[in-house]
Amino acid sequence: MARGTSNRKQRTTDQGSSSRFGSRRTFLQATAGAGALGLAGCLSNIGGGGGGSDTITYGVVSPMSGAYSSLAPGQRNGAKLAIETLKEDDEFDFEIEGVYADGQTEDTASVQAAERLVQEDGANFIMGCISSSVALAMNEFAAEEQVIYNPGAAAVPITGSGCNEYVFRAETNTAQIAEAVSEYTVNNLGTEVWFHIADYAYGTSVRNRVEARMRQANSDLNVVGSTASELGSSNFDTYISQIDNSDAEVVVVGMTGGDLINFTAQAVEAGLTEDKDIMAPTMTFQVVRGALGSAAYGLYGGVRYVSTLDNPLNNTFREAYMNMDETSGPPDNFARVGYQSIMMTAEGIKEAGSTNVDDVIDALAGLEMDSILGNNQFRACDHQALNPTWMGRCVEPSSGEVADVELLKKVEGPDAMIPCEETECSL
Amino acid sequence: MLELPLVTAGETLDQFINGLTVGMVYVLLAAGLSIIFGVMDVINFAHGELLALGAYFAVAITTAGIGNFWVALLVAPLAVAIIGGAMERLTIRPLYGRDPLYHILLTFGLVLIFVDAIELIWGTQPFRPLDTGVLSGTITILGFQKTLYSYFVIVMGAVVAAGAWLVLERTRFGLVVRAGSMDRDMVRHLGIDIDRYYTLVFAFGAFLAAVGGVVFAGRQSVGPGMGGSVIIPAFIVVVLGGLGSFRGAVAGGLLVGVVQSFVRWQVPFLEGLVVFLLMIGVLLIRPQGLFGSPEWHDPGEGGELLTAAGSGVLSTRRRRLLGGGMVAVLAIAPLGIGVLYNSYVVNTIVVDILIWGLFALSLDLVMGYTGLVSLGHVLFYGLGAYATVLFAVYLLPSIWLALVAGILVAALIAWVVGYLSIRVSGVYFSMITLAFAELFASLALKMPGLRAQINPTLDSLGLPTIPPLTNGDNGIGADAITYGLTGGPEFGDVSLLGEIHLYYYVILALVVGSYLVSRRLIDAPFGSVLQAIRESEQRASFLGYDTTMYKRRAFVVSGALAGLAGGLRATQNLGRASPGFLDWLLSGEVIVMTLLGGMGTLYGPMIGAAGYLSLEELLLSNGIDQWQGVLGIVFVLFVIFVPRGIVSIPSLVKQRMDSSSEAPPEGEPAEVSD
Repeated sequence: MARGTSNRKQRTTDQGSSSRFGSRRTFLQATAGAGALGLAGCLSNIGGGGGGSDTITYGVVSPMSGAYSSLAPGQRNGAKLAIETLKEDDEFDFEIEGVYADGQTEDTASVQAAERLVQEDGANFIMGCISSSVALAMNEFAAEEQVIYNPGAAAVPITGSGCNEYVFRAETNTAQIAEAVSEYTVNNLGTEVWFHIADYAYGTSVRNRVEARMRQANSDLNVVGSTASELGSSNFDTYISQIDNSDAEVVVVGMTGGDLINFTAQAVEAGLTEDKDIMAPTMTFQVVRGALGSAAYGLYGGVRYVSTLDNPLNNTFREAYMNMDETSGPPDNFARVGYQSIMMTAEGIKEAGSTNVDDVIDALAGLEMDSILGNNQFRACDHQALNPTWMGRCVEPSSGEVADVELLKKVEGPDAMIPCEETECSL
Repeated sequence: MLELPLVTAGETLDQFINGLTVGMVYVLLAAGLSIIFGVMDVINFAHGELLALGAYFAVAITTAGIGNFWVALLVAPLAVAIIGGAMERLTIRPLYGRDPLYHILLTFGLVLIFVDAIELIWGTQPFRPLDTGVLSGTITILGFQKTLYSYFVIVMGAVVAAGAWLVLERTRFGLVVRAGSMDRDMVRHLGIDIDRYYTLVFAFGAFLAAVGGVVFAGRQSVGPGMGGSVIIPAFIVVVLGGLGSFRGAVAGGLLVGVVQSFVRWQVPFLEGLVVFLLMIGVLLIRPQGLFGSPEWHDPGEGGELLTAAGSGVLSTRRRRLLGGGMVAVLAIAPLGIGVLYNSYVVNTIVVDILIWGLFALSLDLVMGYTGLVSLGHVLFYGLGAYATVLFAVYLLPSIWLALVAGILVAALIAWVVGYLSIRVSGVYFSMITLAFAELFASLALKMPGLRAQINPTLDSLGLPTIPPLTNGDNGIGADAITYGLTGGPEFGDVSLLGEIHLYYYVILALVVGSYLVSRRLIDAPFGSVLQAIRESEQRASFLGYDTTMYKRRAFVVSGALAGLAGGLRATQNLGRASPGFLDWLLSGEVIVMTLLGGMGTLYGPMIGAAGYLSLEELLLSNGIDQWQGVLGIVFVLFVIFVPRGIVSIPSLVKQRMDSSSEAPPEGEPAEVSD
């Protein structure tokens, strides 16, 4: 399926020369180099700075409008903070600029926005997008344009079946989170499980992975029932009644954003949590906790990031983020991804000693480094960051109404990620 | 043994109450929409935003400590009613007497303005559901536990609906409104100034929507997508019940709520599809909806359809020259890359404009020439995209054959949809096409789940299983789309010189070719019949033409061209098709482009596409966060002041210049010319 497959092979046999069959830029360089025509001289102005220059231009495409508009500002602000930090940090001796665009939570619009950033503003690195379909399209775009891309989406295929060498993901994927939540849930919350998901790729992937991992962890697992609502539903009474009338001990919810908020709010209101636990891999997201208020207390969820993690890099990040003009609170997971993506990629640029995309790819893959989530790397086989994950619970805060996250169990980065052989990606 | 049926009866009642709860919210939303449509012929796309506004006002009132849920329930709807009234006064009033089509453009613009205004004021973060005070918590009745709020919604909805019914049945206001929704002209002839009532009707509809919004906010979070998510179900309820019928809105709302609830419970794989199937089914059996009046919306009631045909100031020859010149400019445009502009302008923006121009042209064939407003045109565009990609994935990577596959699939489905839909007319046609489009959009998303259910059965029967067709929301992409039959250079990769690409010329040729074919078709007797149908379908059929057949044929041609546009767009999206290609908002956008340019001219919609996309690009590339709102304001101003579209601007200017009271250029015979 991956369009990049052939390119990847091409590149591994022909490393460093950045040649790729039929690429626009290759042809451009050829014609410009030959100087066969007067016009070709002008043509060398075209396109992004494929890598020769000392300046990194990071293009950040976030869904500022559309379905994910509530999550996008965090991503953009996090990325912006990373770029500003790198500008001033003497350890990183390259110039860096940031350019920003609205991807509208839509693949055609996001690809077009990225094209604008690459061709008009000279971006040679791209970060962004939150929905998986957009990120998968952007993967292809990155291979086509030969720019490094850091996706902000969590679907497994992005560094799995749809991976390519240009994609480096700092976002924690669904499989890593499933690793953190499955065992804890089945062994501590109950073996009688009901799955409720939103009927789309993310939901299905949560159900499949969490169920499989639960079964490995505890053979007593009994899936009492399984329901799926249409993506974007706002009324979940029917399902809540069904779950309420069952013997389930724990409900695993494979939904995000508005779906998750509304399902949970209605389930708690209907008294479902009186005798059942609710666990969702994204329950601890700041936007979810914020919109649930006190209804979130006592709910379980996977944790990709909490701003209270205590390590020097994260403490610096949290403080700087809260001091930004654009922000009014601590960073959420999306801000973390925006920041961490660019900071980790910058380590690769530093290591390579070059801003050339190919050199950076070679240096960055498998490079061990410190990150705001602790010791980390973009694993060589699929360029997935080995982030640790946690099982967490939303608890009543000491002040205010928005629930705090209590970390119950940590899974270290290398243990959270599925083995290279199982990723359907070979780089 | 006795327990089993008892439990089932309890559960059934449980689910019935669930259905009534959500149904009541639909009733509140649809009642206003239906009354507004019935009386004023306004298809109010912004109705969902009025609901959202009600919810946001309620959040503002409760979080600012001005009042509790009950205060919000009263104050927020009143505030929204005032906004609704102002909206009617300022924007909709100038449009009376025109075809309802213009309200689509207008209210589409208003949606963009409202959405941006809401985001500007309240931000994009969702707010938690309202604190409903004494209504929170659960209550046990007849042995099963439900939220108290569910019962409240049912009672509240029933009271408001009954109140609205009393207003309509027992007051003079109601009498005029009901009479107006049956026959507006008759009311005028009776000496009643019905226009004065319009503001009140609109405010009343807005009030009901806002009540729905506050009720919604009591059980779900309040976010910017709220309005958009309710507008389609609301339209379905209105059409199902019968446009302009209050009884219909109530019955339709409850029916949809209950059916949805039971289907989710018992036949979950139909979830997301059933409401559309229900609506299509009802419209096919009763084209006027459950409670609609069959006499309603007779031809002639529709208002004036302002095509731009014949409104030009140029002679046919000059216009041809201009058109040829335009194509020539497009042909040499890539030469300026790197000198005048960079490759993005030509290879991305111009290509995008060409493809959308083709899509708008395809819509114009049915909308501008037969008066059929398809709100589901995105279906053919999306099918074209998917079919093109799937052909390349599973059969041959050839761009030519893949595009032909896209065209054929789109044409085939257009024939089926046209066959079923063209028997209904006016807004019902718009809605039934919308329902088909949404049906497919939902299917594209649900396909992986359906495959997982169906494939084991097929496999056990020894039949071939269904391969991945959509990959759901992840979208599906072809490894390569090539110029050769089985391989060869990739479509996007053949460069003529530097950044001058062959694909640019291929797309240009296909779009210009499609335009010429359409022009030929319209100039032929076929086209004359289509225009006769637009002017008066009755007269055309009295002349012996089978108007339905002509309309269907036009619909198929139109669908085929839309399919080509979709296929081309997929090649520009890195050979990928995704559910975004079936988003109904694209139908709205292409209608806006067509109207913006000037419909009924073929070239006007293409100019409209250019104008729309250039403006959007200008706003986006300058990083203007409120780009949607600015677009919306432009639409609103356009529809009020330049209703015949961009192509009519020269004649408008000429009219202004000729201060004498000569006959305006519209007086010319409205024959079509280049």
